[in-house]
Amino acid sequence: MSALGSVLALIRAKLIAFATAPQRFVVTIQRAIYDVRTGKRTPWDVAKSVLMTALGLSMVLVLLFPLFWIFTASLAEGTRLFNTSGIFPEPSAYNLEAYRWVLFESDFFFVEGDWGYPQLVIGGGGGLVPLSFRWAGTETGPGALFNSLYLVSVTIVAGFGMIVPAAYAFSRRSFIGRKRILYGYVLFTQIGAGLSIATLVALYSLFSTYGLTNNLFVLGLFYAAGTIPFNTWLLKTYMDNIPVSYEEAAMVDGASFLETIREIIIPLTKPGLAVVLIFVWLAGWNEFIIAQTLLSPENYPLSVELYNLATEGRFSTPWTRFAAFANLFALPVAIVYFAAQRSVEDGLSFGGMEG
Amino acid sequence: MASSQTGIGASGLSRLRSVIPFSNRDWGLLLVIPGVVLFSSFMLYPIFYLFYISLTNATFAGSVIGGGAELIGFENYVELFGDAQFWTSMSTTWLFVAVSLVIKVFVAVGIALLLNHARVLGKRYMRAAVIVPLGFPGIFTITVWRGMFSDARYGVFNTILGRYNGFMSSLSAPEILLFDVPIGFLSGRWEAFFAYVTTEVWLAYPFMVIIIVSALQDVPRELHEAAMVDGAGFLQRFRTVTLPAIKGPVLFASILTGATAFQQFLIPWVFNEGGPARQNELIIVYGYREAISFNEFGLSAAILIVAIAFIGLFMYVAVRYGGLAEGVGDS
Repeated sequence: MSALGSVLALIRAKLIAFATAPQRFVVTIQRAIYDVRTGKRTPWDVAKSVLMTALGLSMVLVLLFPLFWIFTASLAEGTRLFNTSGIFPEPSAYNLEAYRWVLFESDFFFVEGDWGYPQLVIGGGGGLVPLSFRWAGTETGPGALFNSLYLVSVTIVAGFGMIVPAAYAFSRRSFIGRKRILYGYVLFTQIGAGLSIATLVALYSLFSTYGLTNNLFVLGLFYAAGTIPFNTWLLKTYMDNIPVSYEEAAMVDGASFLETIREIIIPLTKPGLAVVLIFVWLAGWNEFIIAQTLLSPENYPLSVELYNLATEGRFSTPWTRFAAFANLFALPVAIVYFAAQRSVEDGLSFGGMEG
Repeated sequence: MASSQTGIGASGLSRLRSVIPFSNRDWGLLLVIPGVVLFSSFMLYPIFYLFYISLTNATFAGSVIGGGAELIGFENYVELFGDAQFWTSMSTTWLFVAVSLVIKVFVAVGIALLLNHARVLGKRYMRAAVIVPLGFPGIFTITVWRGMFSDARYGVFNTILGRYNGFMSSLSAPEILLFDVPIGFLSGRWEAFFAYVTTEVWLAYPFMVIIIVSALQDVPRELHEAAMVDGAGFLQRFRTVTLPAIKGPVLFASILTGATAFQQFLIPWVFNEGGPARQNELIIVYGYREAISFNEFGLSAAILIVAIAFIGLFMYVAVRYGGLAEGVGDS
């Protein structure tokens, strides 16, 4: 919860900074004009700055061109994208039809856009707790979004439960095998999705043997396992930067071990926890090759649905629908990601980067 | 009686304590073990199992599970090294890693220098914008790039090239500067390779830019100013002040992005499944294909074990020369 809170605080700070940016820009221009008038800067000096800024700006535009293109494409359901009139659809043809399709007709929220709502059933369930959830008002059941959310919850809970205590132990305790385990983790820090695809053949055989295919819970655990080395190492380096003297001082003042954790370690590692939260979330949210291999269609998360949409026809991706689906899929992640951008940058440039 | 029993118990316990190298201060290990167990069971165990499969003549998942496969030693590896497709795939993969890496370094250093330049206004916002590709899921961005490289006459790049042709011919430029549109970006071998490299560079530059920018920001301004006072030009300053500062981080980022490029699966798979005619199958695609399309689980496992061995080599080099494990020793 604390990690989520700090992410929200970061988003707020970012928005405020972004909203006041035009004001600062105007002030910069006014100052430049003033400097030229009073002779502090020559016009050529100002022109050089303008040129360099224009160069930087055009570079950004070129680099982000594909994203801009797909965003405009998502607004143009019903028009043909690849036609004689140009790359971008006519602005007059903009509509939200594709988004309507994603929300009410695709499997995004509910299968075949058949909307419903969760209902608490008392007396059902049959387990220890006589309560259960039921999806009322729908005949086809919840869609890909709920599969994704379930998958990601498992990944986050399992991942956090193992990463945070281990990072603390690595940072603050010495125990047998510490160096060896840490070294092993470092070897695996940057192994990406490629390794999971490489072991897919073995994974599929193993999961089938133990009857674990088509199980979202196990898949969530699998993703959590993949995030452990990198994020443990990341959080450990983060905790190393908190002086031990803070805890020692608290201990002298009579704080118990758990109190030092709650009052010192957790509050000071908040940005690090936020970054780990984002990385663990992304691991569960984005992967699809393994999910597609191990799950049956009714359990597909959003990422697999997106992939299927992209490869529906060999050469004819339904671009507008794909774009709308992808924007809704990627937007929450992208927003959180860029809100915590500073922390993410610090997190990515950890260890050995200074030399 | 009772006291003697407890005596034996206590001495037994202390003997046990002396045998097991675990003391009270080692309880930190208990916090670490769950993660190690989870990681080992889902990541390390499959790798060992993959090695076992590579020693059998398994053909599909059922033959591995049902016990229909027999151990055949290293025959799969022998077959693999005699397979022309393996060598095509290996050389294409290394070429892909090398070409994309060189371009990545130049592009990333260029962007980082520009977005760290004193004369560029709003560079903080530009830096935030420029690393956007990192925040989107790979399947999304890679599919978008497939649309950009569409073979169609009115695909995005073909349209741009068509406009360029129109512009150049209006200047009555010589034929040699014009492009022969439409280019079949995904249906020619080197055209497809070019498309892979472009996309890989676009996906990987943000990581390098982040690392290079943070290295550049650590260079004291005084160094640049001192060099300027001494009359050093831009190139000279780049060579003597900037380059030493970013050399280490660039090397480090190169090893890591090189390792990801080596494992690249999504780009070739989404673009044209390693085509045309299996000429651009990067190593992981090759292994995946053999298992999924041709039911050669044993051979596929052998390919992937070779790939994992190379990835391991990358990581060893990164840890050894990249100084990645610097923090392991201290506590």
